[in-house]
Amino acid sequence: MKFEEMKTIWDTTNNEMLFGINEQAMHNMIHAKKEVGQHITNTSELLWIVVNIIAGSFVLGINLFKGSENVFMYLMSAWMFGTAFFLLASRVRRIGASKNFDRTMLGDLEHAISVAIYQERFSILGRWNIVPIGTLVALGLWDSSQSIWVLAGVLVFFILTIYASGFEHRIYKGRRKELESLKAKLAMPK
Amino acid sequence: MKEKEQKQIFEKWLIQYRALVFKIVKAYANSLEDQDDLFQEISIQLWHSISSFKGESTPVTWIYRISLNTAIKWSRKSTKHQHDPLEKVEHVLQESQIPIDPRLDWLYAQIHQLDEIDRSLALLLLDDFSYKEMSNILGISESYVGVKINRIKKQLISKLNTYNNHEI
Repeated sequence: MKFEEMKTIWDTTNNEMLFGINEQAMHNMIHAKKEVGQHITNTSELLWIVVNIIAGSFVLGINLFKGSENVFMYLMSAWMFGTAFFLLASRVRRIGASKNFDRTMLGDLEHAISVAIYQERFSILGRWNIVPIGTLVALGLWDSSQSIWVLAGVLVFFILTIYASGFEHRIYKGRRKELESLKAKLAMPK
Repeated sequence: MKEKEQKQIFEKWLIQYRALVFKIVKAYANSLEDQDDLFQEISIQLWHSISSFKGESTPVTWIYRISLNTAIKWSRKSTKHQHDPLEKVEHVLQESQIPIDPRLDWLYAQIHQLDEIDRSLALLLLDDFSYKEMSNILGISESYVGVKINRIKKQLISKLNTYNNHEI
């Protein structure tokens, strides 16, 4: 037998679909991804709200107790309360919107994508929130006549935090893209 | 490139060229778990590759390049999907209900015995790619492709003759 015969077998039979897509398994996988995404979002949202309220209260309490006139510290406390309030409002909106998705595979997938988009935006907010906080801390330190080295150290710390938070953002972005590629797969003829 | 456009291209590719991706999955992965895993990996890499696709080659050549390179990298991974044997695993990918020609099954088994690069070359050879295209897809010189193809052909023909003798 010649190679050409092998090629004929390949050409005549290999254009058949070797696999199909198991919709139920795909649905279960999407559901699991959605649950994981929701769990992470819920936990990090709550953590952010609690941390901002506690930190804001602490800064405000210390300033009031000491009778400090450092305006930057009061501003930072207000910023933290504002962030906590903003996150709380976003959380209420997100939970409300989650009721709009139906329980079909596509509905579950669209819900999972919306959670992933939310996580992505949440990580952007977290990243850029470091800028006003860092600025206010630096200004507060400068106002209380701290050494230039302490100021420089604090600024370096915040810059590194911004850089590191980029990794987290890329993880969420990758997760969203993966879910969107699954959505495209759903469009394939079975 | 806008994401909407990216999605449209991806959907089109998966509909038109999924048989091609399935061939690569079957040539590189044996168990259904691994086939499922590799299929997911190739789909993700294809999705990411859309923004770099400038139309300098045909979509088939591009999809082959991305899928084969992903499959080669995937098969070099020391640990693939490891499942608890007692765990019930559902696979997104499932074997087709259409019976496959046993000769084709045999051919896949032979391709699977080749090393990762030779597997790619065998698939490209059977799908009528020129040496130049193979060299572009795999990033190896045309002359090296020629040498390897000759070896692969000889190897496959000799195994095919043995198979035919047993059949008779």
